This record gives sequence, C-alpha cells and structure tokens, in this order.
Amino acid sequence: MSGSNGNGHLYVPQLAAIVKITDETYDTKTFTLRFVDDDYRKNFTFKSGQFVELSVFGAGEAPFGFASSPNRREDFDVTIRAVGRVTNALHAKREGDLVGVRGPLGNHFPFEEVMGYDILFVGGGIGLPPLRSLIEPMLEAREKFGRIIILYGARTPADRVYKSWLVELEKRDDIEFMQTVDVGDDSWTGNVGVVTTLFKKISVDPSKTVAFTCGPPIMIKFVIQDLLQMGFDGDHIISTLERYMKCGVGKCGHCAIGHKYVCTDGPVFSFTQMRALREQW
Amino acid sequence: MNVGDKLSAPKDQILKALDRLRKNWKIVGPTEGPDGEVIFREIESSDEITFNYVNELDPIKRFLAPPTEELFRFRTNGEVKLELPEPPPRQILFGIRSCDVKGIQHWDKFYSGKFVDDAYFARRNNTVLISLACNEPLETCFCICTDTGPFLEEGDGYDVQLTDLGERFLVEIGSERGLQVLEEAGFKAEAASAEELAKRDELMRQCDTKFETTAFMAKGIVQMTNGRVRDSLWEEMGHECFSCGACTHLCPMCTCFDVQDVMEAEDCGRRERCWDSCQYAGYTREASGHNPRAATGSRIQRRFYHKLSFAYIKQDGHHGCVGCGRCIIACEAIGLLDLPAVLKRLRREGQPVEVTQVPTE
Ligand SMILES: Cc1cc2nc3c(=O)[nH]c(=O)nc-3n(C[C@H](O)[C@H](O)[C@H](O)COP(=O)(O)OP(=O)(O)OC[C@H]3O[C@@H](n4cnc5c(N)ncnc54)[C@H](O)[C@@H]3O)c2cc1C
Ligand code: SF4
Ligand code: FES
Repeated sequence: MSGSNGNGHLYVPQLAAIVKITDETYDTKTFTLRFVDDDYRKNFTFKSGQFVELSVFGAGEAPFGFASSPNRREDFDVTIRAVGRVTNALHAKREGDLVGVRGPLGNHFPFEEVMGYDILFVGGGIGLPPLRSLIEPMLEAREKFGRIIILYGARTPADRVYKSWLVELEKRDDIEFMQTVDVGDDSWTGNVGVVTTLFKKISVDPSKTVAFTCGPPIMIKFVIQDLLQMGFDGDHIISTLERYMKCGVGKCGHCAIGHKYVCTDGPVFSFTQMRALREQW
Repeated sequence: MNVGDKLSAPKDQILKALDRLRKNWKIVGPTEGPDGEVIFREIESSDEITFNYVNELDPIKRFLAPPTEELFRFRTNGEVKLELPEPPPRQILFGIRSCDVKGIQHWDKFYSGKFVDDAYFARRNNTVLISLACNEPLETCFCICTDTGPFLEEGDGYDVQLTDLGERFLVEIGSERGLQVLEEAGFKAEAASAEELAKRDELMRQCDTKFETTAFMAKGIVQMTNGRVRDSLWEEMGHECFSCGACTHLCPMCTCFDVQDVMEAEDCGRRERCWDSCQYAGYTREASGHNPRAATGSRIQRRFYHKLSFAYIKQDGHHGCVGCGRCIIACEAIGLLDLPAVLKRLRREGQPVEVTQVPTE
C-alpha cells in the first residue's frame, strides 16, 4: 500500500538514525540518515525531486527534499536550514540519534524523459539540495545528457551550501558551472548579483534545453520570467513549489493550490502546469 | 432479511433491538440537551433517545474523526519506541440525518484512494450508520438544493435508513453491515406494505415543499469555475469575516487537519491531529513567513473554490456542501458569509474576469 511506511500506517514513521551531520553554513546542516530496519532499508528507493516527512519526536514533523543521489542505497541526505520548531530541534540532534521518516512522498523530476537534452540548473540558496539529488545521477550518467549548465546563487559567500562540492563542480570540464552572491565579502572574487545576472554569461538553445529551478518563490518568479524571455517553452521549465505542509499525503489540505496538492501532485511542476493553477503560488 | 429489503416495525422494536446491541456496541444517539437542544452522545439505554430534533449543530463527523485524535505515542528514553492507540470501539451512530450520511460518504472517498487514511478507517470500519430520514426540515436546511436529502436512496451510504411513519418505522436495509447488525440484534420485521411505501414517498414529497432556504448551487458552481468574481467582492467579504473557522469546523464536508506533538513527560508524548481551518491566517503560512493566503478574502475565496469549482467536483464526484445549514447558524458575520448567503452574492456577479497569470510581479 502506497505511503504505508512499511508498517501499514499512513502517519507512523519508520525510525532512521542520523549517521552523519555536516555543517554547511551558519544555519544549515546536512543530515545523513539510515533506516534502522534492515528490510525496510534494503527495499527503500526514491526518485530525485521527492521528499520525506521528517519527525523529531516531541517537536513535530516537516517536509524536506532528498539531497543525495537516488543511486546511493544505504543512506540518504537531507540539507536543512534551522528556521523554526522542527528544524531547530533537528539541529540540536547528534550523530547516532533517531528520527522518524515517512516517504518517499510526492512526484519527481523527469530523468529518462530529458536524456539527450541540454540541462540548465538554476538554484538559489537552500534550493540547491533538491537539485543535487538530480545533478548527481545525471553526472553519473554523463554521456546520456547534452550540456549540463549549473547556476547557483546565494545571499552571501557564507550562505552557500556544499562548499567543497562546489569546488569539485568548478574543476569539472564536462559541465559549465557558475556561482554568484547577492553581496560579496573581502575574500569573494566571483560574481556579484542575483542568480539571473548569470543568464547573460551563458548561451543556450531553448529548443533543446530543459531548465530545472529550485529556490525561494521570489527567485523562481524572476528565473521563469527570464527563461520565458529567452524563448523557453513552458514544458521545458521545471520547478519545485513550496507550500506549508502537514501530512504530505493529500489529506490535511494545507498545501493546496487551487485543486492541486503540492504534496501529491507536486512538488515538481512544469511552468505549463504552474500557469494552469488557479491560485497564486 | 436481505440487503435492499424495505421492512416495517413498531418503533419500540427498533429501540429494543438497540438496547440488545448495547452489550457489544457503543451506541451514539440523539438526546435532549440542558436547553432542549439535541446532542448526539453515547447512550446507556434507548430511553435517553429523543425524536424531537432535526439536526445537531455539532457535526456527526466528530465520532469518526474526533476534533483531537491521537495518531501514535512515542517514548524517547534511550531507544525510541512508537505505540499505536487502542483500537476504537465498535459503534452505531443512530438517528443521524441524511445530510450527515452524505458527508460521511464524502469522507470515505476522500480518505481512501492512493493513500488510505488508516487512522480514519480504524473508526469507520467499526461504525454502522442508522439514519433517520427527515419529514421536516429546519428553516436553515437546504439539502433539497444540494441533492443530499431529505431522504436517502439506495447507494447513498446508509447501512439502515429509518422513516418515521407515525407508530412504526419503515426500515430500509442499505448494506451488508446494516443487515448484520439487525440480525445480531435479533431484529424481526415484516415487509412494508404498499400503503407504507406510498406513505414514505408522500412524506418525502411533503417535506420537499417545506424548505425555506435556497442555495443557488448551479450559479455558484459556474461562478467559482469560471473565476468570474471580482477581487473586490472577496475583499469586502474579507472585511466582514472574523476568521473564526466555525463554518469549516461544523461543516460535514470539511476534512482539514493540523498535526502536532504533545509532550506528556520529558521522554514521552503523543502525536495528534486536530481539526484545522483554511479560514485561519496561519493555515498556509510558510516557514519563510511567506503566506500565499494572507488576505482574509483570499481564504473565503478558497473555501468556495473548494466547495463549488468544477475542478473539485470532477475530483470528488460531487460539490462540497450537503445543505445542512450549520454554517448559517454558526457564522459570526450573521447572514453574510454562510454558503447560501455567499451564493446569493455571487449570483449577481457577472463579467468574466481574466484569471491572473503569474509571473506578473
Ligand atoms: C516539498 C518541500 C521540500 C522542502 N525541502 C527543504 C529542504 O530540503 N531543506 C530545508 O531546509 N527546508 C525545506 N523545506 C522547508 C521546510 O519544510 C521548512 O523549513 C520547515 O517546515 C520548517 O519547520 P519548522 O517546524 O522548523 O518551522 P516552524 O516552527 O513551523 O516555523 C518556522 C518559522 O515560521 C514562522 N511561523 C510559524 N508559525 C508562525 C505563527 N503562528 N506566527 C508567526 N510566524 C510563524 C516563524 O517565523 C518561524 O520561525 C521544504 C518544504 C517543502 C514543502
Ligand atoms: S457549507 Fe454550510 S450548509 Fe453546506 S454542508 Fe458545510 S456547513 Fe452545511
Ligand atoms: S501536506 Fe497535507 S494535503 Fe498536502
């Protein structure tokens, strides 16, 4: 049964151990999680773009996107910014502590469908982690895709997540990677400006490119505006939408936009689908 | 006895059957409250039942989805341990009205599908619905406009439907579950006579003529589907609304809930869900502080989009109102924002308005 978490219950999570905690920024950490139950772990699979409902017992539950490659089967990553009750409680956890996980939930990014296309990623701040769960498997199957262009923007150099991974991306010569910050600092010698300013520095053929974007709503709006101006078709712009979520399984009502539920119809939407939504996102 | 049978029995036979079932079932029935109002509650004996009622203000859904419901308990000392709540008791909801049965039928559909809400069905699968058709509507009732009463027909979701024929009940067996419970009670009755069946239809026709409230459902559906309502009307309604959530809490069709953890000691607690309302400002507030429905009017628009748009009708198989009239009684903005009142206001809205498309900011 879908969403039964291996225990037959829609709302009762599986236990997972925090096997590793990595500091990303002053307010963001990556948690590597491993299911306690051997059978459940062996059978667990997910797809890029899906998410989990993560429980810190006593604090509550909140949704987070998978941040690691689905090809990694033993454990997975979520990268989480501390903003409130659940996220702060999670940040107070130590390696070895147990949390609850329900998932995988939601739809996913297209993968096979975009093979052969050039791929453009536009990530903002904490929007990079869900894209990483797609970038990594694409790099693992590099020859199946055309150009891979990754644009990443953050508020300041210190706000960038995965700093060592970014250095690796910079070194690769089979991808085009650029990053920018809204406000630089003394040591920053890279681009300064919002992420859309990087569009001027690349040339893409919109007819053979699929763009993936993830970030704060305001960034997504500007990115889509520019992509449309560049000549992208609505079907070739893929974004994730964020809505306040509770159940993650289409029952509590919180995440509805019009008659669509971000938790089950999304979180991945093409711009064509977003345009058809009967409510502001 | 068979499913589909229409039987006739003296009223006290039904009540005696109920008393016999009390041993193995929790019986919930209509009783008289301190101010003469009707309250559905667990009864010890059928003597407590009143038949002097049309409907209770509190929605019957509370017996299937309590306002606060434990999902599981957790212990966090050393190892984390999760425990499920006790299985809910077998229960009979006796004397509930047609509109509430239709509401429950909606919940059954909504809570199944790809993700089955096992917490809901733990109660639901242990519940028998014995409904009582309405010979008299309240002045606030309008199930005649929503096609959810005053009498139910086969397939409408009742296990047993009773009709008050005066001295006797007409007993219609609607499901296997209904049949089983009557058999378990040792209930015996003869087939209803042709006159009794004719009387049922006559009572139904008479009731149809007694409705005082109208809801312009058809026009409302058109308006909410085409988005022909000017934004300023929603804004006006926003100024009138107290965002109290009474309309949604009492609505038999509204299903929304919130989830929270409650600690009972340092190392144990429970996760529970509780009724929530799309009329509350915090309902859609995201962790970033961004709130797509910050304006009160946009939340009222949401309520009616969900209840009436064709997109939802297609998804759910029906619109989101059973005509019980509870929101008319409960709404603090008296007479302005209940469903029939809003439909009255939408009816006069005319011009097509272009649906705003993003990104425009
Ligand atoms: C599909 C999806 C994927 C996501 N992926 C990620 C991810 O990969 N990484 C990530 O970091 N985040 C992600 N998020 C966002 C994440 O879910 C939220 O940050 C998280 O739910 C916050 O939970 P919390 O309990 O910590 O915050 P809460 O305690 O719920 O609230 C956080 C903030 O909201 C405000 N707030 C809340 N309630 C109120 C109130 N009543 N009045 C006023 N202000 C209030 C406060 O300012 C508070 O600081 C994702 C969200 C979705 C929907
Ligand atoms: S919208 Fe009002 S009248 Fe209709 S079912 Fe809900 S509470 Fe009853
Ligand atoms: S999060 Fe509950 S319906 Fe989507």
